[in-house]
Amino acid sequence: MHLNLDIVGFFQHTIDLVHKQNHGPIWLIVLIGILFGVIIQWTRVDTFDKIAGFAMLRGFKVPKMLFFTIGIASIGLYFMIKLGYAHYHIKPIMVGGLVIGGVLFAIGMAILGLCPGTGPVAVSEGNIDVLAGLIGGLIAGGVFTYLYPDLKAIMGPDLGKATLAQLVGHDWFIFVYGVALIIIAFLLPSREIEEEVGEV
Amino acid sequence: MIPKRLGWIPGGILLALLLWFTFSTYGADRPIGASTGIAYMGAWLFGLQTSEYGKHIANSGSWETFFLIGVLIGGFFTSVFITKTFKFRILPPLWKKHKNSSPASRLFWSFVGGFLVVFGARLAGGCTSGHFLSGASQTAVSGLIFGGVAIVVLLITGRLFYKNL
Repeated sequence: MHLNLDIVGFFQHTIDLVHKQNHGPIWLIVLIGILFGVIIQWTRVDTFDKIAGFAMLRGFKVPKMLFFTIGIASIGLYFMIKLGYAHYHIKPIMVGGLVIGGVLFAIGMAILGLCPGTGPVAVSEGNIDVLAGLIGGLIAGGVFTYLYPDLKAIMGPDLGKATLAQLVGHDWFIFVYGVALIIIAFLLPSREIEEEVGEV
Repeated sequence: MIPKRLGWIPGGILLALLLWFTFSTYGADRPIGASTGIAYMGAWLFGLQTSEYGKHIANSGSWETFFLIGVLIGGFFTSVFITKTFKFRILPPLWKKHKNSSPASRLFWSFVGGFLVVFGARLAGGCTSGHFLSGASQTAVSGLIFGGVAIVVLLITGRLFYKNL
């Protein structure tokens, strides 16, 4: 086996793929990423202490912010989609994949203390341990891609792309859903971990 | 005066605004996601971009690759200029308190954890960004199943893997 380190070829092909989609120009995608990185770093939810700290029930900033974000976002998104300013992008209910994947993902997240979105932010601020995690993630991506033809069998059955809002079918539901998540965010303990700087 | 830290309320509002913009037809007309980007780069690294799964994730993966490049830039500049937290380090304080003081152990477990996170996310078809932020914000049943399983297993693992709790 050999590693494909043709970075120029990688970017040429990747830019080409982005141009063929209608999901924004490169600069806009990078800008969305920058804003995501700024928000995550500024709130410091990209730290082991905040994420693994929640797994140890020591601090609750991560679930509070996550539930609060989803609560607000869900209400706005519902009406944006209804008025035609956005579209649904629903992932299928692959029962086996969701359950087995969710278990492996969460075990890894408790140990690494980060996930695929927050991990790169932690790397960007100098966490060498998370860089080891990112290398593990890249290898996992390759291994998964290689094994995919065999893994497909355990990922099903595919139960379609349902949303709760569509199942209920009334506008009031989105307010119940969104407000409930916002209330949960406020009810979770406000206990936080004292922030310290890690060592080399 | 720019605050050095952002609380979960302003942070959550800003993240919701970014999610709306990304979803909107004025933005990218798609959800935010991260794990497909990492899998896409991993597939390339091993020369598997033309395999069945490599082709399957080509569109999302290429988009998320540029998203993640932005994430690295935004995180770096914020850590240097706003929060002033940029520093090369290996051992998180909480790891030292509840696991051990060995950098080698931390690096080993980070590698294992990172592997599981991405492998699990690809099995499930998404991660915290795709299933939680983007999925649960659309009330997607898939995102809610993933979220429920992940939170329970996260708390069980935290209880079993760490000590002195």
